[in-house]
Amino acid sequence: MANVIVNRVIEFLKKYPPFSFLSPELLAQVAREVDLVYFEEGEFLFQKGEPAKSYFFVVKEGAIKLTDHFEGKEETVEICDEGDVFGVLALLGKRPYILNARADEHSLVMAVPVGVFEKILSENNKVSLYFASGFASGQVVVRSGLSQTQKVRTLFGRDRDTNENGLMLFSGQTSIQFSHPVIYCHTGNTVAEAVEKMSREKVGSIIIVDENKHPKGIITDKDLRNRLIARNLPYSTPVTKIMSRPVVTAKKDMEFSQVYLNMVKHRLHHLVFTEDGSSDSPLIGIISDHDILLSQGNSPAVLIKALQESQDIHELAKLRNQAEGMLKYFLENELAIEFIAGILTEINDTLIRRAIAMARARHEAVFPELRDLQFCFLALGSEGRGEQLLRTDLDNAIVYEDVADELKEKARNFMHLIARDVMDILFACDFHSCPAEMMANNPQWCQPLGQWKKYFSQWIREPDPQSLMMATIFFDFRAVSGKQALADALTQHVYEEINQGKVFLNFFAKNALLNPPPLGFFRNFMIEKSGKHAEKFDIKLRAMMPLADAARVLILSHQVVGINNTFKRYEKLAELEPNQAALYRDAGKAYEIFMRIRALEGLSTASSGRFIQPDSLGKLQRQLLKNAFFPIDEIQKILKVRFQLDYFGN
Amino acid sequence: MDWKKLFGFAPLPKPEFIKVYENAMERKIAGGKPVSELEFLVIDTETTGLDIKRDHVLSYGAVQVSHNRIRIASAREFYLRPKKRNREAIKVHGLVRERPYVSREQLIRSFLDDAQHKILVGHHLGFDLAMMERVGRSIGLRKIKNPVLDTFNLALRLDMGKFYDPQAVVSTDYSLDKLCERYAISPDDRHTAAGDALLAAQLLVKLLKAAEKKGIKTFADLMG
Repeated sequence: MANVIVNRVIEFLKKYPPFSFLSPELLAQVAREVDLVYFEEGEFLFQKGEPAKSYFFVVKEGAIKLTDHFEGKEETVEICDEGDVFGVLALLGKRPYILNARADEHSLVMAVPVGVFEKILSENNKVSLYFASGFASGQVVVRSGLSQTQKVRTLFGRDRDTNENGLMLFSGQTSIQFSHPVIYCHTGNTVAEAVEKMSREKVGSIIIVDENKHPKGIITDKDLRNRLIARNLPYSTPVTKIMSRPVVTAKKDMEFSQVYLNMVKHRLHHLVFTEDGSSDSPLIGIISDHDILLSQGNSPAVLIKALQESQDIHELAKLRNQAEGMLKYFLENELAIEFIAGILTEINDTLIRRAIAMARARHEAVFPELRDLQFCFLALGSEGRGEQLLRTDLDNAIVYEDVADELKEKARNFMHLIARDVMDILFACDFHSCPAEMMANNPQWCQPLGQWKKYFSQWIREPDPQSLMMATIFFDFRAVSGKQALADALTQHVYEEINQGKVFLNFFAKNALLNPPPLGFFRNFMIEKSGKHAEKFDIKLRAMMPLADAARVLILSHQVVGINNTFKRYEKLAELEPNQAALYRDAGKAYEIFMRIRALEGLSTASSGRFIQPDSLGKLQRQLLKNAFFPIDEIQKILKVRFQLDYFGN
Repeated sequence: MDWKKLFGFAPLPKPEFIKVYENAMERKIAGGKPVSELEFLVIDTETTGLDIKRDHVLSYGAVQVSHNRIRIASAREFYLRPKKRNREAIKVHGLVRERPYVSREQLIRSFLDDAQHKILVGHHLGFDLAMMERVGRSIGLRKIKNPVLDTFNLALRLDMGKFYDPQAVVSTDYSLDKLCERYAISPDDRHTAAGDALLAAQLLVKLLKAAEKKGIKTFADLMG
């Protein structure tokens, strides 16, 4: 029988992982075996190099710091507070301790005997994953740990909330359900034969395959209307003449969310599945956006379509608000960040395109001579990187083609009016103004290509702090709407300039080290010391910017074009530098974790999510966050070495 | 002539476990033993009242402390079936739920087993020991022979030195509640014997650390 004392221990332990994963019986068994130990401030619990004890620790009250020796000095690596588990080397392999543990204040600590836990470790999948993924403090996360960490997250996430909000968008839908059997005809058939089949099977589309059953094209009702009837062609026309091709194909075991993202991105109405995913492989199925829409009432595709068709600013605002609900749903269901960011970026881009079309329609008549003026709307900063999940500050610009002197004034006015209207629409949709006015409606950032080249040249050639600050925002530009070639020309210019003045990258790398990595949740250390956000943790400044800045520098040094996502940049870096691949992947994963946590915080507090109250996070989230800090330091070391920053002037 | 025997008043033969306890207690703890190596049994009882002649033990809680560690595995919680349900006590302690009761003999046996070679600790321990002796008397327990340490006295001594004037002490400042507050111990499960024993145990480990700093380093120092 568990008595009051054991119950007291159970009540405490069950709040914290990994104990929270134990059945009541197992937990009671563990609780009965623990010792409570009291340590005064400054006392050592164990020291580096000591053989592992026969128990590991959980902080009951107080705080324990884990320290290491650096150049003869004892430096804090991490601070453990209530519910934190540490000293687990005793459990895992019984190696000597690699850190010191010392009471940072008067602390009451639970010592959990390894013996009772070993059995649990071997039998309870969640508990072993917990330890394997380095959730416990001071475990010095193995590099490959983060992907494990994510696995744990999904595992734990699934248990917590079986979702009950009617969306049911992707829950459980990891495999694709495509139409079966798929309706097809052969390249030798006539339209009449194809139509006969379509009408018999009551479908709106048919796949055309060759003799090996490889998909060659597709004919839809729309094709019949536009390419046959409208052109007065006979029914005996061969199908190959009016079919759309090539068809976009995918592998049948592709993740549903990926399939979906693909369709949304490429505005595909149909996606064809083949054996190996290529179009030179036998057809096995087809999925249409219609199929998806029928099964999902409230989907991104519907939203994007509605945005595209909207003429009314209030309706745009309403639709954009709806997207927020979707974002929440995506986050809560632990969909991949890549997917979420992809959808949100697409929604924002669509909104901007819509706004530009509306602005253009309004002002074009006044500037008939500029009807064909080419311009490109650039997203900057996080939107430029395609990682803006919440409607935070806008950073954008317009680049337009250079015009003859006599048109200069007019072009400037025209572009400015468009920029102004677009921004007004975006503000109406609840986006926030950039405090530094890095927006297209600021005349400084609404300029012809020639002027933009000058701007970039100046930033690159004179890398003073101001230039570097600009560079961190402007270098992530991405063409959202208009003439892509203008953006490409600018990219090329940037690389040419960098190649001439290589020293820029060293400055840029040094700039990326301005924000040192946080070490752990140091109660009073990492959080902001004063002001409005006192006692909060600035996730953007302390965690995200160091990773985004480093990725930018590294990707520039590899002369990679067209990859803006921080996590995709790390993916690319992993590919380019195989010997650092594991670290880069971890950094990318870490970045995704920060994005997710920030977005969730923002949604729950109706803010930018930038300032996080450490107490408001669950234990698991805090540990996840802590683990995600580790790659930052490693990445910064790479910058230091590669750009020789220790020898580089201040 | 043994009159008591003749009239059937003779005590029953002393049970074996009491003899074992009494023998064990012949061996004294060495005075030079460091405080950090001492072994304690922290106890608390809840009773029907404060009169050691008339009131009864309702429940008993205990936990061991050794090498400065509170051993949860050694936690004990026992309930005795009250002879007469005393309504007042029930109000204070909330002992209304049916408990898995133990006999007096089971209680004393467990207590004496645990108490061997230990220093007994409690808050206002004298009362609890008197009540335990009362429970044990009919079974043949004559006297609890352990060295004792009262957390009330220890806390006072740490504040005022060894030779404080008892008249100058406001004893309510040294109640278990007040001390828990002062030593940052969250007062859970108050007014259950086991809960209070755990609180006293936490208080003990904190007081011992503080005592060590004041030069109380050995068993002799602690008892002196």
